[in-house]
Amino acid sequence: MARRLAKTDVVIIGAGWTGLTAAYELAHAGKRCVVLERGSYRHDADDFAAPKEHDELKYAVHHAHMINTRKETLTFRNTASQQALPMRRLGSFLPGVGLGGAGIHWNGQLWRPLPSDLEMRSHYENRYGADFIPDDLNVQDWGVTYDELEPHFDFYEKICGTSGTAGQMADGPREGGNPFEGPRSADYPNPPMRQPIGPTKFDEAAHKLGYHPFPMPAANATKEYTNPYGAKLHPCTYCGFCERFGCGYYAKADPIICVYDQIKSHENFEIRYQAQVLRVEKAEDGKTATGVTYLTDAGEEVFQPADIVCMNAYGLWNTHLMLVSGLGKPYDPKTRTGTVGRNYAYQTMAGVNVFFDDQVVTNPFMGAGALGTVIDDFNGDNFDHSDLGFLGGGYIACTQTNGRPINYQPTPEGTPAWGADWKRAVRENYLHHASLTVHGSSMATPDNYLDLDPTWKDAYGRPLLRMTFNFPENDRRMADYVMGKAHEIARNMENVTSTSASNRAAEGSDYSIVPYQTTHNTGGTVMGTDPTTSVVNRFGQMWDHHNVFVFGAGLFPQNLGYNPTGPLMGVAYWTLEHIKNDYIANPRPLMDA
Amino acid sequence: MSMYSRRSVLFGFGAAVGLASLPRHAFAALDGTPFTFLSDTEARSLALLCDTLIPQDDFPSASQAGVVDFIDLQLAGGYGRGERLYMDGPHPQGTPEQGYQSPLRPADLWREGLAAMQTVIGPLEGQPQSALDQLMTDLSEDRPALAGRVGAKTFFTELHALTNQGYFADPIYGGNKGYAGWHMVGFPGAFGYYTDTVDDHNRPYPQPPMGIGHQPGTSDFNSER
Repeated sequence: MARRLAKTDVVIIGAGWTGLTAAYELAHAGKRCVVLERGSYRHDADDFAAPKEHDELKYAVHHAHMINTRKETLTFRNTASQQALPMRRLGSFLPGVGLGGAGIHWNGQLWRPLPSDLEMRSHYENRYGADFIPDDLNVQDWGVTYDELEPHFDFYEKICGTSGTAGQMADGPREGGNPFEGPRSADYPNPPMRQPIGPTKFDEAAHKLGYHPFPMPAANATKEYTNPYGAKLHPCTYCGFCERFGCGYYAKADPIICVYDQIKSHENFEIRYQAQVLRVEKAEDGKTATGVTYLTDAGEEVFQPADIVCMNAYGLWNTHLMLVSGLGKPYDPKTRTGTVGRNYAYQTMAGVNVFFDDQVVTNPFMGAGALGTVIDDFNGDNFDHSDLGFLGGGYIACTQTNGRPINYQPTPEGTPAWGADWKRAVRENYLHHASLTVHGSSMATPDNYLDLDPTWKDAYGRPLLRMTFNFPENDRRMADYVMGKAHEIARNMENVTSTSASNRAAEGSDYSIVPYQTTHNTGGTVMGTDPTTSVVNRFGQMWDHHNVFVFGAGLFPQNLGYNPTGPLMGVAYWTLEHIKNDYIANPRPLMDA
Repeated sequence: MSMYSRRSVLFGFGAAVGLASLPRHAFAALDGTPFTFLSDTEARSLALLCDTLIPQDDFPSASQAGVVDFIDLQLAGGYGRGERLYMDGPHPQGTPEQGYQSPLRPADLWREGLAAMQTVIGPLEGQPQSALDQLMTDLSEDRPALAGRVGAKTFFTELHALTNQGYFADPIYGGNKGYAGWHMVGFPGAFGYYTDTVDDHNRPYPQPPMGIGHQPGTSDFNSER
């Protein structure tokens, strides 16, 4: 029997970007918040300082900042006819653990969705006709519009001290920005990052071809900056250790320095570490949750009652927690009913390797997670899809992000994987290479979903989450098409000696959980306006338990061609606004089912 | 526990081989420290395999750069113990897309894999390089069928990954001696601060590499020759 604690106003599961932000906003709204973090305390100043943090083996290869699969993992299969097997090691994606969550080891690529992304079904049907979206794609509107979220995107960009060039301001387009983005109420708070030679040559080639390159928006400060919560950020050093690393320079925005430091002393804020939430407890009336049960470091089960439960775990674990708690109705792929675990989607990653002659020295170790130049001409519905046979798209970026020598060994096509020729190719090309990335959308389908595994369990005796996923045909065609455009740009870059394109979603190849691709898993707890196709309503509130609010990229009905943190934080601030201004005074379902 | 120093094991029992026959770069440890996990025989076999993956040219081979020392320490540490590896059974064989499914902790997988290979092709020592090259090709293509519980491809994947890591990881882990791997590609290491140089295009970066535990004077690759 779990020990019962005194009730709190709000219990928050997870101390990443959304969890700490929820705590900040709700604590300031007068609510006592208890944050439960299954990992440990850590801080940029003490734990991420160079040179100790700049350890590729420990952090990039052995994933010291990420979840330990011994405790929690999932099982995976490509199709429902296979047996799913445990993801025994991390690979394809890297969920975080500890204060700040995965927000400490993100790359800081900070995007807004396109207005049409948020109304995807309506938009495509309006532009191309009601039959355009095939039946085997679960494409849905988000239930919330760009205009509703815009103030929140803007605020989060300010929280992060984001660097960039605006493309669409209220008074019209701005030269050098993204002409396809939605209208902005304000420019980025900081000027864009300095661009290395590779992205500069990409910029020139893209211009020459009539595209619209712009500097990638980065959650890295480019000058001294104070965010709206009072956090101070410092200019980025381009040290090349962003993805998989914390930033000891206070340059890359993260939830510890941007949010936690600004709320940690507040009387309404409390955080407990090594607090592994086991389940959300439901009230007997079946309409609300009563709180959560968690396991302490000492192995004791504790029940924390609360008026409001905020689920702020990484998206996959929010789905898992709902399934093991019996919250919502699990998705059944046979009957295609139920919603929890439905619309799981990933991201389609393709790319082009560009090799330069000796005149171009790229110095790939000078980098940052969001350093690069981008075109958005082939993202979303920014291009005519009438005759293409697919929905969606992606951005094409030339980035300089991760030039560390264990994981960055670019070699021209045809190079063997080992031996003398391999060694020579690594030596000759390390300083003369650039990467073009196609970061593509992923549509949800009835066959890709999350449920509970019948065989394997986590360290707490709960069934593992089971993932069934392969790339939809739609996404394979999209990635191939946009990769072709990237390849065209690559061939038009100057001083190029060879190029080679690759596509993780290539026709005939199955999704593999082994090589790293992206940590942009989406879906499973999607938002919407119809309870038969969404877990939460348009405010992030569970349809069947109105005091449970859900955050994160699990809410995305399908995946965007963008990195998810900007969109998911926009939705988080939207949800918090409605909790503060509406729900607290009158707890109830905020929408009729 | 080994009776031999790492260097003497790797380079043919030291005294029996004249200094003149030592490789041009002798990066492996000179301190006489015994191996932690590997037996001397295993270490010598491993050196041959690693050097097939990363042979000597103008830059050291894998074993000359300390990769055997690196792997030895990895096998004795958290990696070898599978500290971040979900080990619960059952362990049915999966598809390549499902990743590592061995019932063995990596340390056991290496030990059994090294032994199993030699039951197939005999002792590695004394084999011509062409035979070792062929063996490596076979392993990478999941041949031959190794005796016991270790798949050829699984063993190759781990061997390839760790050899590479040992050549390019920070020297605090025992490999990348004299910053051999970093010198080879031109990676300056753990002290990056490039605010003013990131857009100073096409200028080679002049500083020699420095690792986390850098000792002044140890970055000069030429002095090691």
